Amino acid sequence: MATISARRSPSRVLSSGTTRYVAGRLGQAVLALFGVVTIVFFALRLSGDPARLLVPDGATAADIERLRDKLGLNASLWHQYVDFLGNAIHGDLGYSYVQNRPALDLITERLPYTANLAVAALLLSLVFGVTVGVITALKRGKWQERVLMPVVLAGQAMPAFWTGLLLVLVFSVGLRWLPSTGYDGPLSLLLPSVTLASLSAAAIARVTRGAVLEQLPLDYLRTARAKGASGLRLVTRHLARNTAIPILTVAALELANLLGGAVVTEVIFAWPGLGQLTIQSVSARDFPVVQAIVILASAVYVVINLGTDLLYGVIDPRVSAGGKGEPS
Amino acid sequence: MTRNRTALKALAAAALCLTAAACGISPATAGRDAATLVIDTVNYPSTLDPGQQYDTDSYSVYRNIFDPLLRRDPKTNQLTPSIATSWTQLDPKTWKFAIRPGVTFSDGTPLTAADAAFSLNRILDKSFGSQQYANFSVVSAASADGPDLIVRTSVPSPTLLSYLTTLSVVPEAYVKKVGDKVFAAKPIGSGPYVLASATAGSEVVLQANPKWWGPAPQVRSAVFRAVPNVASRVADLQSRKADLVTTLSPDAADQITRDPKLAVLSTPTERVAYVAFNTIKGGPANDPRVRHAIAAAINYDALIKNLQRGYAKPINSLLSPLAFGYDTSLPDNRYDPAAANKLIDEAGVRGATVVMATSPSFNPQIVQAIQADLGAIGLKVQISNTDQATYLKKVQAPAHDWGAVRFGRWSCSCLDADGVVYPLFHTGGIWSSYSNPAFDKLAEQARTVTDPAARQQLYDESFKILAADLPGIGLFQDYAIYGANSRLSWTPDAQESFFLTDMKVS
Repeated sequence: MATISARRSPSRVLSSGTTRYVAGRLGQAVLALFGVVTIVFFALRLSGDPARLLVPDGATAADIERLRDKLGLNASLWHQYVDFLGNAIHGDLGYSYVQNRPALDLITERLPYTANLAVAALLLSLVFGVTVGVITALKRGKWQERVLMPVVLAGQAMPAFWTGLLLVLVFSVGLRWLPSTGYDGPLSLLLPSVTLASLSAAAIARVTRGAVLEQLPLDYLRTARAKGASGLRLVTRHLARNTAIPILTVAALELANLLGGAVVTEVIFAWPGLGQLTIQSVSARDFPVVQAIVILASAVYVVINLGTDLLYGVIDPRVSAGGKGEPS
Repeated sequence: MTRNRTALKALAAAALCLTAAACGISPATAGRDAATLVIDTVNYPSTLDPGQQYDTDSYSVYRNIFDPLLRRDPKTNQLTPSIATSWTQLDPKTWKFAIRPGVTFSDGTPLTAADAAFSLNRILDKSFGSQQYANFSVVSAASADGPDLIVRTSVPSPTLLSYLTTLSVVPEAYVKKVGDKVFAAKPIGSGPYVLASATAGSEVVLQANPKWWGPAPQVRSAVFRAVPNVASRVADLQSRKADLVTTLSPDAADQITRDPKLAVLSTPTERVAYVAFNTIKGGPANDPRVRHAIAAAINYDALIKNLQRGYAKPINSLLSPLAFGYDTSLPDNRYDPAAANKLIDEAGVRGATVVMATSPSFNPQIVQAIQADLGAIGLKVQISNTDQATYLKKVQAPAHDWGAVRFGRWSCSCLDADGVVYPLFHTGGIWSSYSNPAFDKLAEQARTVTDPAARQQLYDESFKILAADLPGIGLFQDYAIYGANSRLSWTPDAQESFFLTDMKVS
């Protein structure tokens, strides 16, 4: 990768090529969404009968049939599918079988909790991961690397249900500093976001370290050093921009994952986000809610990926979304 | 390098905006005092409309907002008045309930017999799609007759009164005015508490209803929090975040007993852990001798002592001793490996494979313990573990090809043999992989006889048939296990009713 800084006017970032590219990507996104939803629609209906889970223990076959009729599950699969697509296009994702409320309302209620947790976890893992990545690259082979890298890897190796419960035992049960579960204000965000961040930080640290190591031997850094740039200045002014793209890519993927709902962490901390709703809806075979969650999660993935690709152009003007960047 | 800085600033600004946008979530737990009880349940209630579902986490909350037509005494399990002050049987198929005068809903409208009739008819209305329909399907009409509620059944029904303890009375005028959907979100009842706030997926706050007709409850407000993970519920109790937590596992209960400020509250329930056989297409289990061998191979005391840690009681059939129809003359199930081995040899099935169907909803340790016990008498148990939806689909299918043995837990919330033996063993029932016309006849008769002595006799006879044919074995009577802060005094009841009015805090 060449590293000479090339300048171009900001207007070029959204050239006609970019517009075409974005339109194309959005077209692909709609196609991907359609595919995902179709697969989920049929796979769900092969996996069990929500009516059987809803009726009391002593219900008869006739009671179950009656409920299936009411839920519209007795219509042919094809009919159900066409109905679902027709309604979905109009923004109606159906009613939850269990809660008897619009699926869309259920997920929009939960989304802010998940978003809050995801953003907090991402910020924590970025701060921690980038710092560790830069230090371990600059101090390669020294004690700093030997101490920091295992810490980060241990964080990644520990599953969320273990880290989460350990944190609760220490900070809630033992020290009583922080709330154990639920959302009781900003403090209760701390334990779940640290749990989640411990999983993402390692990926970010490793990518950062790799990117920095790649840049270190290059001329522009040697020049900057020769000009007397201090370590901090070297990192923030010179390295930052040239290592941003791989870090951004990993961070965006992590964010997309987190926004889909951090299932285990949300269950441990009784965090009322999408992850918990997903678990409950899948085990109750609450088809409309599962479908709505899948549509949302896929859409988030697509949008974040597209946003990241466009951001590349902002960070490094030589990259033009659409693949027709000027030769440097 | 100015662009560099601009880009970084833009990124930082974007991150901040995202955080700020995401901050639109609100804590709902302000202002908790000594008279507030914080309760951890497993799930957020799926509805607050008592006409729809009857799952534990929903009714634990809504039964405090509404009054039931009848109640059971928490100590004796006998029927006691609630909204109905007295009841009489006019003829075998007609009941009259006198409705308590002077009761008002929390919005001030008086509660009448018409409201009680509406509450029942609503569940029977096909277009409403209530999941409780099965409990009341015997009712043919409910109507108001002046201050009384008249309920007619299609056949004489000995279990009607039992199920009416689960009927909450809702305000007809309000439900019709706002519609079912708004009613589920903003319920109004005549009960001891009113809904103060609800945060979706997280918690529901109830406050004492100053207009309630009964004695003012000592718990002035209660916060029901949804905490699905059992270890997290224990941590909430230990960190004093919660005063009472429901649905503990026996291991979790052990953890709680180590803290002197906490207590385990438990009670035997009508829930029974059982093993049922496929006597139609169960391979080796088609032979009653094999079923008796399996019954003698299971080490019941070990299950109760080691896995349930004492939170269970021995039992002699699939019926809880609390329920009507329990046959006290039968001996408790006995572990007798020598007899089991003999039966296995007689049947000539040593080394045979039996498929055991189960789901993650059932304790895998118990399934494995049974597998080991059966292994000891020469049966190879192949566990077929599928999720609950698939398990139900397989077990309830009329093809009967789900395997030979399955483990389950059963409670009809009716304290009556009819809610247990009929659905589990009557020919053609969705749970039944057993058929015996003599048993069917007795079970059918017992559904329509209202004289308790005659019914008991019918059940005694049917339990004799079941003990001989053995289409299922009761493993133990299950306990409900709660963890509580010692500032709470409360005796849980067998129905797991969860009435806040029965609780006191200090």
